[in-house]
Amino acid sequence: MSNDFAQFQAAFFEEAAEHLAVVEEGLLELEQHPEDLDLLNKIFRSAHSIKGTSGMFGFNAVAQFTHKMETLLDLLRNGQKAVSPPIADLLLKSTDCLKTLIESVKTGAPVDDAAVQRLTSELASASAAGAPQPPASELTTAIDPAQSGDLTKTYVITWTPPNWLFQRGLDPLQTMKELRGLGELTKVTLDVSRLPHLTDIDPEQCYLAWELQLRTEKDSKIVEAVFEFVREDSQLSIQQVSAKEADKGVQSQSVSTATPMPTSEMDGPKPIGQILVEGGVVSSSALDHALAQQKRVGEILVEQKAVTPQQLEQALQKQRQQESGAHAKKADTASIRVDTAKIDKLINLVGELVITQSMLSDLGARFEMSQLHVLLERVAQLERNTREIQERVMSIRMLPIGTAFSRFPRLVRDLAAKAGKKIQLVMTGEETELDKTVIESIGDPLTHLIRNSADHGLELPEERLDNNKPEMGTIKLNAFHEGGSICITVEDDGRGLNRDKILAKAIRQGLISENDKLSDEQIWSLIFKPGFSTAEKVTDVSGRGVGMDVVKRNIEGLGGTVSIKTTLGKGATFTLKLPLTLAIIEGMTVRVGRETYIVPLLSILESIQPKEGSVKTVVGKGELINVRGTYLPMARLYEVFALEPEHKLATKAILLILETEGERVAVMVDEILGQQQVVIKSMEQNFRKVEGIAGATILGDGTVGFILDVRGLIEIARQETAMAA
Amino acid sequence: MPSATLETAARELNQQIGLTSDGSQFLTFNLGEELYGVDILRVQEIKGYTTVTKIPNTPSHIKGVLNLRGTIVPIIELRTKFGMPTIEYTAFTVIIVVVVRDKVMGLVVDSVSDVLNIDKNDIQVPPQFGAKVDVSFLNGIGKSGDKLVALLDMDRLLSEDEIQEATVATKAA
Amino acid sequence: MGKTALIVDDSPTMRQMVAFTLTNAGFTVVQAEHGKDAVNKVSVGPKMDIVVTDLNMPEMDGITLIKELRKMASFKFTPILMLTTESAIEKKQAGKEAGATGWIVKPFNPELLLKTIAKVLPA
Repeated sequence: MSNDFAQFQAAFFEEAAEHLAVVEEGLLELEQHPEDLDLLNKIFRSAHSIKGTSGMFGFNAVAQFTHKMETLLDLLRNGQKAVSPPIADLLLKSTDCLKTLIESVKTGAPVDDAAVQRLTSELASASAAGAPQPPASELTTAIDPAQSGDLTKTYVITWTPPNWLFQRGLDPLQTMKELRGLGELTKVTLDVSRLPHLTDIDPEQCYLAWELQLRTEKDSKIVEAVFEFVREDSQLSIQQVSAKEADKGVQSQSVSTATPMPTSEMDGPKPIGQILVEGGVVSSSALDHALAQQKRVGEILVEQKAVTPQQLEQALQKQRQQESGAHAKKADTASIRVDTAKIDKLINLVGELVITQSMLSDLGARFEMSQLHVLLERVAQLERNTREIQERVMSIRMLPIGTAFSRFPRLVRDLAAKAGKKIQLVMTGEETELDKTVIESIGDPLTHLIRNSADHGLELPEERLDNNKPEMGTIKLNAFHEGGSICITVEDDGRGLNRDKILAKAIRQGLISENDKLSDEQIWSLIFKPGFSTAEKVTDVSGRGVGMDVVKRNIEGLGGTVSIKTTLGKGATFTLKLPLTLAIIEGMTVRVGRETYIVPLLSILESIQPKEGSVKTVVGKGELINVRGTYLPMARLYEVFALEPEHKLATKAILLILETEGERVAVMVDEILGQQQVVIKSMEQNFRKVEGIAGATILGDGTVGFILDVRGLIEIARQETAMAA
Repeated sequence: MPSATLETAARELNQQIGLTSDGSQFLTFNLGEELYGVDILRVQEIKGYTTVTKIPNTPSHIKGVLNLRGTIVPIIELRTKFGMPTIEYTAFTVIIVVVVRDKVMGLVVDSVSDVLNIDKNDIQVPPQFGAKVDVSFLNGIGKSGDKLVALLDMDRLLSEDEIQEATVATKAA
Repeated sequence: MGKTALIVDDSPTMRQMVAFTLTNAGFTVVQAEHGKDAVNKVSVGPKMDIVVTDLNMPEMDGITLIKELRKMASFKFTPILMLTTESAIEKKQAGKEAGATGWIVKPFNPELLLKTIAKVLPA
């Protein structure tokens, strides 16, 4: 294949991944609805697309394997074969195999050839049984390489095109031009014998025929190829005549036929092989055999002992590596596919921005105080433009979460089969959009949670029936927007978390002591501790004590939270709350003395003005605040950051109750200024991490403001109380 | 004014018209009466002093951070860093924005002076003043005409600073 | 050249590759995701000098699209090339009956694509 298309490989891999997801999802759904023809068509189309496009890049292994899948799918959608569990299973396995094949051309990862072979023949036999198999065609390029004829030949061509030539957008003039491109048209005779009476003429029909003489060096195949699109529908004959005959104007003796004329009866020099066959020297099969032995450079060199077969193999290996290496390098660049509508909208907005800007500079050039209101108006317009552009640009990175969900039906199916359980997965809210990086990072945590539900949460069918539950367990996966964040819930109707078991285990592992009094919330959060697992038997999917702590770490790494709701015997719900994007947060600006800080809105539970006497000191140092009966550690921000505050008396100041990971802290500030979206800027890029500060942002006046690190403040407050205790 | 030899006069002339011989260019600036220089290749830009946001719990020579076209840039007050008394900022007070190991930071100085070509031969190793004055972040003392320029070793100056992570700082002696 | 081409394919990669080749050859390119999209686009858009369409597509397949286009006055004689895989050779006949001018067999390279277009594109 030409290298011109190579630059589209990355796009192909992206697209192929989407098609693979469609195929996989479709096949899973097909198991439930084997009669769904629309679904089958959709699966077929995706497979067909992969086949067609992979062929364009010369990924023949991919194309050929997909072809086998497609053949079977075609039989299914034509109703020649019925969807059965073994066939669905075979197709799912083939999808996995296809995935590895595509991965292999992408990264050069090795492929289990034996497995590919096995599946290929399984697909073939599944396709063969019952219905005739369409001819398995290998993918080859359509055109023949131009054979270089070394002598000028003269062809006499008679062509009577079909009447409806024009209706197919064909133009005989084009054909003439193309013939002229091959050589010299020495004679063109128009045959008007078919032309009806003027009154009977339909101007959209073609009644003409031609007789042409073409002098060219080209082979008759090439001449024939000119008529490729009309050959079967025309009366066409192409005869090679000797130059003498042509000069004399002797016309060909041959009668026009409706089929393309074989070119074997021509005069003039023939290929040597043909002469040998005709003379009975060799058989035509012997000739074919000889032609098939045309050799490649490497082979010839080996034969001539210029290289050893080992050297050749090494060189070929190197060539393949270079090819796959080039692919792997390409695959590294991350790209994102954006709806053109989104881009168009953005271009419009930028246009508006430019207009606003030029109006402003125009105004600025000759500004008078009387025009102040105009200025304010335009600045407001600029603000609107900017905000809208910001939103649109962010939305470019937004993808529907469904892309992260797509792997779960398969996962649940496999988990259920392995554990001998009956599980249905219900997914809702797949269209909910969130940032691409967030989507990419939640796949693993969600997988752990679903595995946890399938493995620990849901009971075996007998156990469920004994407990008056439907035999089939349900895992619900739901995504929805809530304020500035996205919530993803994983809900099961299984046995729920067992308070006593968790406590016993935690005590045994020394995570808590027997005397600790824990709230339900605190108990549930124990399962997120590293090394904690309550699975009675270790299975290969979960219960190894890895997973839940990783879930929590990953989600918190994204600035999100995990919470659990559960009822014993009824089920459990894990809720992940995540920011829509990692770049922008909704923040509350607060003031301490003359400094401004931003508190992530997600972490603010409430703000209170403490009453007299609600602040208690522990041994004169660490402070606790009584909020409706619960004592929370308190941090005076001015102390933490060594500032000069307006208020040192807690009763005059404001306390923000902040929460992260189920822990709370009361942070004392002078004043709450307001709410605003802030773009998170890195402090580490040019400086380093600062205790109590999560990042920085640019405030409205262009100065830098700091975003508080809630986790860090909890640590600081806790250290103080601990030191005091 | 000591009388300059013909040679140094020629060199000064060269410097004035911007011709470099075997040397480097330095941006020189003033801290009180003293003249300091930084390798011009390290300098990204010079900007007037604007208010910075103080970073809590950092040493006093770290003035704070600044928004430099959307990037957060820490600002260091060289006077404080060198243990010199602070002065009121004037219209001449500027921030020299430098790049050190891919990190961008600003240095507050009294005023910028000049760009000087200093010949390699005119750079001496920094003299040892004893324990009182820390010369570890000097590359050398440059001589340009009758001026003495203390040439700063930016890597050392800023790596031993708390700006860099502890892992980087171990390099400094 | 100033020629306009309509490319219809549900595979964005395929579409981009064809569009890229034609744009480099001086065409103005209009892209559509499937037959319905194409019909919508040509009903309001500029006249096309050539149409290159895939056959297997959601919403409206290539054969139906060709039939629909041939019904429109502005597409009555426009060259329409279909992109087909070899295994779908029987589609050729259906395509011809629907009014397709010709076909390009996948996989193809840019050279073949341009050659085939030149074959049917009126000057």
